[in-house]
Amino acid sequence: MSRLFITSILTLVFVSSVAVAGTDPILARQELMESTRDAAKVIGGMLKEEQPFDAEAAMAALKTWKKTATEAGDLFPEGSDTGHDTEAKATIWTDRAGFESSMANFNTQVDAAIAASPDSLEALKVAAGPVFNACKNCHEGYRIEKED
Amino acid sequence: MQVRAIALGVSVVMLVAILLASRPSVLPAGALPAHTADAANGERLLHAGGCVSCHASPGADSETPVLGGGLALETPFGVFRAPNISTDAVHGIGAWTMLDFVNAMHLGVSPGGQHYYPAFPYASYTRMSFEDLMDLKSYLDTLPPAPHPNVAHALKFPWNIRAGIGLWKLLNLDSAAVVSVPPDNTLLLRGRYLVEGPGHCGECHTPRNWTGGLEKSRWLAGAPSPEGEGKVPNITPDKNGLAGWSQADIEYYLESGFTPDFDTVGGSMAEVQANMARLPAEDRAAIAAYLKTVPALH
Repeated sequence: MSRLFITSILTLVFVSSVAVAGTDPILARQELMESTRDAAKVIGGMLKEEQPFDAEAAMAALKTWKKTATEAGDLFPEGSDTGHDTEAKATIWTDRAGFESSMANFNTQVDAAIAASPDSLEALKVAAGPVFNACKNCHEGYRIEKED
Repeated sequence: MQVRAIALGVSVVMLVAILLASRPSVLPAGALPAHTADAANGERLLHAGGCVSCHASPGADSETPVLGGGLALETPFGVFRAPNISTDAVHGIGAWTMLDFVNAMHLGVSPGGQHYYPAFPYASYTRMSFEDLMDLKSYLDTLPPAPHPNVAHALKFPWNIRAGIGLWKLLNLDSAAVVSVPPDNTLLLRGRYLVEGPGHCGECHTPRNWTGGLEKSRWLAGAPSPEGEGKVPNITPDKNGLAGWSQADIEYYLESGFTPDFDTVGGSMAEVQANMARLPAEDRAAIAAYLKTVPALH
């Protein structure tokens, strides 16, 4: 009886830990960053003139960035600084205000880029440039450099 | 007995010869060409050389560089401190003559006749033309003075003995180009000049031999980080390096800070890239062309 009870408890613990892993903030933010990067490839491909300018595809990519700007800030809770090969740097938690203002800057630049509704390659260059810089600046301060 | 005495004598003569040869030597007065300095070209060279990344005063983030120095470079030899190179006459280089400046950049010798440590990458700057050095000095002369006193390096024994630098120079200071390029290819010549000279890319991207000099047979093939942790990547056209990058990819990376995979530039390279972004596009194109031409090393 008690053995069955313990087994049930252990099973429950195991199952719930798997369930929690499904919403692990580290995995969630890694997925979000992956989609952000994919969107950067779409816009970057146009800026490098490897792909023809496509206003619709560019806008879709900008909206992907907006999703990142909206959701990413909440995916770095206390205690999510290790595991899953996270590249999050300790400064996210030691300098929370700086991190948040960096994310807010990203959001502002994305909003401006969407509002500009770029209809030419030149307009896209102007709109996306500050967003790219926001990515870079935040990574510089708040991401660990990992070797490939 | 006699053989031993001769051997001793020869050793002493050799030692004296080495010590004499390794004493700081400077250019004679009149060594500089007649040249009307061009400060705009000097500013371009300042960015190519990334002078600001090491010599900027801490916290200085203005459009006009304030070069009061102070950055600590932590290395296995100890801590180097980037000095004040602002126009302050006391703490900076405001009182230097043009020849003083060229001696520092070309030979690594101070106006007081001391060897500089090669943490100041004059082993690369020695490949710069005197005209370019004069242009650079004339641009630095336009920048504001910063009244910060210099902080001494904190080096471990035996690296704290400056006389040793003379020996290092005998082995490692050479103004000859590293990679040969067709003498009529102006793009590659420019790229080589920027990478091997002012850009001093090899200082981090090339491994060092036991003397602390660059291992030229492994030119740009990647190296342990000079600051201890991690690795500096291979930037030769090998599959471990930039084989998968087109020339346009390299140019775009230097301009924007994004890799072909749209990851962002990281580590110490972030500062370097920000400097490269300030060069004219033709200079980034020249650098990219050169990097696609150097021997591919695994």
